[in-house]
Amino acid sequence: MSDVTIDDSAAGAIASAQDEVADERLVYQGVFQRLFIRPEVGATLAAASIWIFFWAVSGPFGLTGGASTILDVSSTLGIMAVAVSMLMIGGEFDLSAGAATGALGIVTLLLVRDITGDMGGAGLSLWVALPLSFIVAMGLGWFNGTMVNRTSLPSFIVTLGSFFIIVGAKLGFAKLLVDQIQVGKLDDLAIAADDRGGDKGYAFFDRIFGAEWDRNSHIWEARDAFYTIAIVAGLVLLFVGLHELYFRRRKERGLVSLAGVLPGVAVLIAGILILHNTDDTGGNALGAAVIGAAMLVGSVGLCAMRYSRHPGIGSLGSSAPMLKALGAGVVAVALAVVAALSFDPAVDEDITFLVTEQGLRAILFVGLSMIGAVLLLVGQSRARSISRLTGSVVLALIGIGVAAMAFFIRAESASPKFRGQVFSIMLAVAAAIVVWSIATTLFEERRFIDARADRFGQSVAIAGILAMVVGVTIRMLWVTQVELDRGIPPAKFSVRIIWFFVFTAACTWVLARTKFGSWVFAVGGNKDAARQIGVPAARTKTQLFMLVSGAAWLVGVLLAFRLNTIQANTGDGEEFEYIIAAVVGGTMLTGGYGSTFGAAIGAVIMAMAIQGLPSSRWNSDWRFVFLGAILLLSVIANNYIRSKAEAIR
Amino acid sequence: MIKLRKLLVLLFAIAMIAAACGSDGGSDAAGDSSDDSSSSDDGGGDDGDGDDEAMAEDDDGGDDSVDAVQGSDLTFHMITHSDDGPFWSVVKRGAEAAAADVGVTLVWMPGNNDPGQMVTDIATAIGEGSNGIAASLPSPDQLVGPLQEAVAAGVPVYTLNSGVNDYQDIGATTHIGQTEFIAGQGAGERFNDAGATHVLCGRQEQSNVGLTERCDGMADTFSGTVTDEFVGLDADQTDQINQIKAVLEANPDIDAFLGVGPVIAMSGLAAANDLGRELTIGGFDITPDIIDAIEGGSIAFTVDQQQYLQGYLPVILMYLEATNANTAGGGLPVLTGPGFVTIDNASDVKALVAEGTR
Repeated sequence: MSDVTIDDSAAGAIASAQDEVADERLVYQGVFQRLFIRPEVGATLAAASIWIFFWAVSGPFGLTGGASTILDVSSTLGIMAVAVSMLMIGGEFDLSAGAATGALGIVTLLLVRDITGDMGGAGLSLWVALPLSFIVAMGLGWFNGTMVNRTSLPSFIVTLGSFFIIVGAKLGFAKLLVDQIQVGKLDDLAIAADDRGGDKGYAFFDRIFGAEWDRNSHIWEARDAFYTIAIVAGLVLLFVGLHELYFRRRKERGLVSLAGVLPGVAVLIAGILILHNTDDTGGNALGAAVIGAAMLVGSVGLCAMRYSRHPGIGSLGSSAPMLKALGAGVVAVALAVVAALSFDPAVDEDITFLVTEQGLRAILFVGLSMIGAVLLLVGQSRARSISRLTGSVVLALIGIGVAAMAFFIRAESASPKFRGQVFSIMLAVAAAIVVWSIATTLFEERRFIDARADRFGQSVAIAGILAMVVGVTIRMLWVTQVELDRGIPPAKFSVRIIWFFVFTAACTWVLARTKFGSWVFAVGGNKDAARQIGVPAARTKTQLFMLVSGAAWLVGVLLAFRLNTIQANTGDGEEFEYIIAAVVGGTMLTGGYGSTFGAAIGAVIMAMAIQGLPSSRWNSDWRFVFLGAILLLSVIANNYIRSKAEAIR
Repeated sequence: MIKLRKLLVLLFAIAMIAAACGSDGGSDAAGDSSDDSSSSDDGGGDDGDGDDEAMAEDDDGGDDSVDAVQGSDLTFHMITHSDDGPFWSVVKRGAEAAAADVGVTLVWMPGNNDPGQMVTDIATAIGEGSNGIAASLPSPDQLVGPLQEAVAAGVPVYTLNSGVNDYQDIGATTHIGQTEFIAGQGAGERFNDAGATHVLCGRQEQSNVGLTERCDGMADTFSGTVTDEFVGLDADQTDQINQIKAVLEANPDIDAFLGVGPVIAMSGLAAANDLGRELTIGGFDITPDIIDAIEGGSIAFTVDQQQYLQGYLPVILMYLEATNANTAGGGLPVLTGPGFVTIDNASDVKALVAEGTR
């Protein structure tokens, strides 16, 4: 994209050229289409829907408790999935990755184990043992990479060989040196700080690899205020960013024109204060209504100050396909309501054949509502093609339908989280839909590329999302006295989660922004072609294998600090979970395409699928049926969205 | 080119499946699965190296014999699916101690989970004119026939460890071992004594008859509610801990946990600690971790099948049958368990584990 601002006539020319068959690279894509061109977006959407689903179905799958267990499970899985996805983008597999995690943990433990206390172990300090075991890890990766390069055998075969060697060596060495099939215990270092007075660096490294944050021991009374401010600020920024990306700016509008949103923000604060100070239904409804009005005021204010009006809004019309889709959507939603009504909301204990009664009720309700929503959206886009006004009216009606649904859920559900959170979120969504329908009718959308507006809008929207992430993080990490008094269960966040985030961010940056990252895509896409244009293909692949074994070292050390003792079979068979997580996250088995961020999301999806079922008290005999279905649906959704996106591109 | 790539992907997929099977086989040597699942054929689900996590070991490997001290020229053969791991080395030590005590020759023939090897060994023992054969039955279909031939040849046969459902078909004098169901029943009684009302029975494998029987036995004697769940494999203990946490959170009234293996019992303890819940925790089999936890009072008990007896008793019983025509058991199996390790005997057991007899 260039920095050239396109004036109205040029824009008009491009817009009219669009109607004919223009150069496809110049076709302007809508904001929402452009969002979907990334390989990880499908996985992110799948993750969000799975989270919402289990959150709705399960009692303890709450914001904090759910996040702490999901992130705990996905941290070690995710670190490996990210590394494995890079290797897969580079066109190779590593079947020894799972067994290597346990093996490198055992190597570390054997190096630090005291010789004098029990049998076996070198009795080294962690300061020496950790670098040594890391060198072992690098050697393992180098061995895998070199073997694959030199023999030109498929990495499947080579690493299958190293897999068996590692599995055998783990057991063999553990029994030879320690006479057990488990090696431990790391915290003996702390308990028996030796005669020389040191704990061999245990306290230091435990803070790096084993630290945990116990939420219940960190009270912060002002937490909710900060949370609310961060979320509101984030929403406003996101809202402004979306407007900026979507609408066509009037000429020569400075940043001052953004002030148009301020009256809306003022009303929004008033609405939140109403919500905060009232607890009854009437107060909530009033607060929601004020917040809806705030959105309208903010949106129209912003648009009036900054964006150009649309000359004509068209007239109402209808067509058979539109009515068909809308009718089917309404029927599906009605069926969802009937399904919800045909179960007794008070019965929560009964476990039917597969799931709890409430679980089945939620599946039917959520599933049918989703189908209905999709059909309604199809109808809306057909209405939009008839005329702007028709589309907007249909969209507004959908928004009103969402609001009605919110009241229905609130009336039907016995669960407090539905009565509070779902109700308010759905009302906010309904208000946003109605406001959006009004704004998009009155004001003109942009149909040409405006690099400055795009960059500004994106920055603002991303800032908004970050503010919301900060808000949610604050809410998860701290507790208030009110919550403690209610006896909320403790949630622990471990440093493993930070390792997971940092590792994912680093790998994503390397893949997207460095020469090495481009080489990875090149050797995965076509190794010979890559070599001919000067990419050091063999070296790149070896480095990728070393990245995977380095990640396995990290996970092994994290496990050692977490469990203190490592079994000889730790990690065996996990390598397929890494590959599955990477594939769910949009990485292709054939190499040359994929995303590390997607792999991290894939790990989160798997963790949720594994954790959600016991949380929901569903019959555990059927767990793998659910797991398989969820994974399959995630991959299908991901592929579908991606193929749509690529068709647009 | 595209076709070739598709073919490669297909090959990869096949290799993945093959590797998945291979990985199971590989982990069996270390894990809890092979014998539990293979002996599930006999319904008894007695486990062999399911107790691999047990502690000490001091084997010399291979066939070896303890020479008779003096007087007796009796030779007994012990033919098992032993892998000479921590579990079986204790059995072996029991058998050797008994042979030394009564002064007979013992030939220890470890089959290393290969029934074919065991069939050959049985034929060898008959050929050598054995005075008694004690055999485990990991896969009855292959082993019942050869042992019937031994009985037909006039050799007294005993079964040990696994084979509780087939020893009568063989014509064996008795079976020496533990049944999983009865071991579970013992655990149920323990929870009753501890005043528990709702036990979560956590399994580390989804379809393992032996582990399921442990839970079923516990549910049989326990007077309160039992929730029986598969909560993740031992190979991914982080996942296991969190799944147990999820079940505990979904069922706030659970006040006890039975892990039907030593690793999963420790996972239950970690989950309870994470949630700040006070649970009565029981486990199966002996590891250093679990004994330390019992000594420290954080785990109430672990079920021990006392495999030393599974080596010691067959030799003594074969000796008595050969010299005194005694037939123990009265047609019923001789049970070696459940024995329980609790805070009362944990330190004693710990010392005995170090000596290699527990």
